[in-house]
Amino acid sequence: MRLSVTARIALLSIALALVSNLVIVGFVWRQTSDVAIATVRRETIEKSDAMRALYRSGGMRAVVASIEGARAPGDVSLLLAVLDSKGRRMFGFSPSRPHIALVPTSFRVVDIDGNSATRDVGYALHPIGRHWLLTGRSLDLVQAEQHAIERAIMLAVVMSLLLGVGAGLVLARYVGRRLDRIAAVIEAAGQGDLSRRVSTGAGRGDAFDRLAARLNAMLGKVEGLMGELRVVTDSLAHDLRSPLARLRTKTEQAVLIADPMQRDVALNNLLVETDLVMGMLTTAIEISRSESVSRDRFSNVSPAALIEEIAELYEPVAEDAGMTFDVAIEAAPQAMMLHRELLSQAIANLIDNALKHASSGGAVMLRLCERPEEIWIQVEDRGTGIAEADRAVALKRFGRLDAARTTPGAGLGMALIEAVARLHGGQYELADNAPGLIARIVLPR
Amino acid sequence: MESVLSAGFFRMWQEKVSKMSRKILIVEDDSSTSAYLAKGLAEAGYSVEACKDGRDGLFLASEGIFDLIIADRMLPGLDGLSMVSAIRAAKIATPILVLSALAAVDDRVDGLKAGADDYLCKPFSFAELSARIDALVRRSDRAVAEPQKTKLAVGDLEIDLLSRVVTRAGRAIPLGAREFNLLEFLARHAGQVVTRTMMLEKIWNYHFDPGSNVVDVHIGRLRRKIEDGFGAPILHTVRGAGYRLALESA
Repeated sequence: MRLSVTARIALLSIALALVSNLVIVGFVWRQTSDVAIATVRRETIEKSDAMRALYRSGGMRAVVASIEGARAPGDVSLLLAVLDSKGRRMFGFSPSRPHIALVPTSFRVVDIDGNSATRDVGYALHPIGRHWLLTGRSLDLVQAEQHAIERAIMLAVVMSLLLGVGAGLVLARYVGRRLDRIAAVIEAAGQGDLSRRVSTGAGRGDAFDRLAARLNAMLGKVEGLMGELRVVTDSLAHDLRSPLARLRTKTEQAVLIADPMQRDVALNNLLVETDLVMGMLTTAIEISRSESVSRDRFSNVSPAALIEEIAELYEPVAEDAGMTFDVAIEAAPQAMMLHRELLSQAIANLIDNALKHASSGGAVMLRLCERPEEIWIQVEDRGTGIAEADRAVALKRFGRLDAARTTPGAGLGMALIEAVARLHGGQYELADNAPGLIARIVLPR
Repeated sequence: MESVLSAGFFRMWQEKVSKMSRKILIVEDDSSTSAYLAKGLAEAGYSVEACKDGRDGLFLASEGIFDLIIADRMLPGLDGLSMVSAIRAAKIATPILVLSALAAVDDRVDGLKAGADDYLCKPFSFAELSARIDALVRRSDRAVAEPQKTKLAVGDLEIDLLSRVVTRAGRAIPLGAREFNLLEFLARHAGQVVTRTMMLEKIWNYHFDPGSNVVDVHIGRLRRKIEDGFGAPILHTVRGAGYRLALESA
């Protein structure tokens, strides 16, 4: 059985609380014991050294006198006694027959009365004359402290279980609630409502907010593309309707023409119209294909050579149309991976647009220039240009300006340029040539 | 409709090919397209055989008796491009023209890479198709008959391919590099119709329609250079089809 994410988060938080509590309490327990024993050891050794020095200077009498005054009232843990050679207590404070080996010992911890339940002591044993001097201190207090700590550990376990459950529930609820908000938006998007967005708390910027922001950005892009697609479909249908309608009218008229020569001419016109529709469809397919052209279609092409080729193709066309056509290759960028045909077609469209719209200005310039991060391929004309306010509309796919509404398929040409620029990771821009228009394909280097 | 349009073109076409009996294999599953092709090609004097899928096409092609294969790209059984690859793998060098509704630039490149000699997008004008068929059939003839020519002559027009000098009636005509290539291409197909798209593909290596009658402008310039000041027209416009380089008019 798989636990729900919420339950797993709760369990994880419980386990983490438990482990961290146990580690801390265990450390305290261990540390308390170690420090206490070290203190007893130091005290015992000092006391033992002092008593032996006293024995050497004052003999047994001085020792006995010192022992009698050594134990402060109420101090039951001190161990200080003289034992005879058999190990029995002669006088002082100790069990009457301590349970220890009669060998010189500098410090040891042992159960001195042989009863394992109580009274661990730390002691030192040294010979004085024919007797033994026993110094030490009972570890009862230390043990009491440790027992208290052990109880605290038990309590800590229980408390961390309770705390863990509580914290886990709160955490799981919090995470669950925030994820649910995101999931609800994704769910809505899956069902076709792309307009919903995840609300992000102002200025929090945590991981959930970042996720939500990314999701919102993605949904925005998807919504934009879907909208564009709808516009493309509508425009295509609209643009196709006019030539098809003309085709139909002309066919009807051609059927009625009696004179074979005139009918020939009429039928020829039908072919021209048909080719127009075909051309638009081909461009539309090319646009949609260019959204997903794989990189292996790219070849290493020098941008300058590509520009020269296309310029060579169009120069006579412009001159025959009574315009001046100039090429300015201001940079010789290194050969780069380009889709030669599609890029050439896009540039051809740029020039074609300029020739169509700039007929009054009479000068068209094809320019290649370099910027630090980019390569610009631009066609400049001296025509009427596009007002700054209208440029966004002009760039928007198929958003044709009303002035151009009569030229069939012009929107498709722009859309192809944009799609090709995007295919190369660049973009299509419009700028002011004062007067006239600069239409520019920006390619990243 | 097409035959009405280019009646003159068809007459010329029939005269030209009636003396030879070329065999063309059509591999096309759409029966109306197949019938349209078969009828048009038969009228043009070819003997035509048709089959409907790639496997039959491969089987027939492997007999090696055809002068040209016209293959649809999307076929049942074995698709068109696989068939072309298989034919080429079997070392059969028969020229192949692929017909396809896939008109994007990359589709054409794929077709040519598979081993096809030419690629034509549906729908096509019959004039375009016959010009391309003519070019393919003649090409394989020429490869046998006259390898490695260094001079081309059309009437009183002479083209030296080595020194890249063009003369007409003994007078040198200065041409730009692209104009020379264009004239050379027309001269290699002298007497045949060369379409605008054929020129765009072969001279400029572009597989898209650049619009604005671009090719016509280039032809117009070339025509002025090789006809102005000389007696007879030599570069003829074939209405509804393309251009033809020949001293006599069709």
